[in-house]
Amino acid sequence: MAYSEKLIDHYENPRNIGSFDKTAEDVGTGLVGAPACGDVMKLQIKVGPDGLIEDAKFKTFGCGSAIASSSLVTEWVKGKTIDEAETIKNTDIARHLALPPVKIHCSVLAEDAIKAAIADYRAKATKKAE
Amino acid sequence: MDHFARLGLPAALDLDAAALDRAYFSLQRQWHPDRFVSKPPEDRARASAEAASVNEAYRTLKDPLSRAFYMAGLAGVDLPGDGKTIDDPDLLMEAMEAREALHDAATPEAVDRLAAQAREDVQEALAGLGSLFLANDRAALRKALLRLRYLDKFAEEARARRMNLDRSNA
Repeated sequence: MAYSEKLIDHYENPRNIGSFDKTAEDVGTGLVGAPACGDVMKLQIKVGPDGLIEDAKFKTFGCGSAIASSSLVTEWVKGKTIDEAETIKNTDIARHLALPPVKIHCSVLAEDAIKAAIADYRAKATKKAE
Repeated sequence: MDHFARLGLPAALDLDAAALDRAYFSLQRQWHPDRFVSKPPEDRARASAEAASVNEAYRTLKDPLSRAFYMAGLAGVDLPGDGKTIDDPDLLMEAMEAREALHDAATPEAVDRLAAQAREDVQEALAGLGSLFLANDRAALRKALLRLRYLDKFAEEARARRMNLDRSNA
């Protein structure tokens, strides 16, 4: 199977690997998994006072496509508002990385991870406002 | 006919491995193509279909984990298939921490320790399934089986990691 250059680049030089303190108020954490293939993905966003995502980190244990998908998403969301970040679709990820059909589920995992991170951040913000 | 009935065995999680082998080999002999060479085409087709179902039943039931997943399907437990994601925090946190520990394990001994622990966890989790099946507790079965899938994946990754370490030390 031939993989695209972009995919290989993200796999070999993953951006933004690491973790934030998941208890911090300005951090949203998404933890998702695909049990059928045993993949587990953690994606975190750090939101600035201006409401923009100032940084993002990920940690993924899974295949190359899962690693590349989460790496790409951390790059894409930086500088975006959380509303903008929420509109990222798995099809955009799959198209950008030219994922083969059998690996589309990896991009689904990355979309679910960013959505979960945003939901976690929003839940914290709501709690803080109360 | 389900796989247990196909092999004439009780639908049990703790299937007797020797009884399973005996049932399989006996049916395999019964439907072996060599015995049907001089028979009419419809008999040959029937024998080949029977042999294929017997093989599939045996493959599915031989491995305890695969057997447990199959039984869960029979019991109507809804398990996520290919491309489906989950967000159970306890389960995923455990899986994430285990994989991080494996990633950090630098010596064959350290990997072996983690692998031994995972094998113990698998045995314990498998042993706990029996009462969940009896109670037909589908939610608990789903959770236990998903955890087993991650433990199984961990064992696979530990073997791969071990081979890599052996290679680089050779």
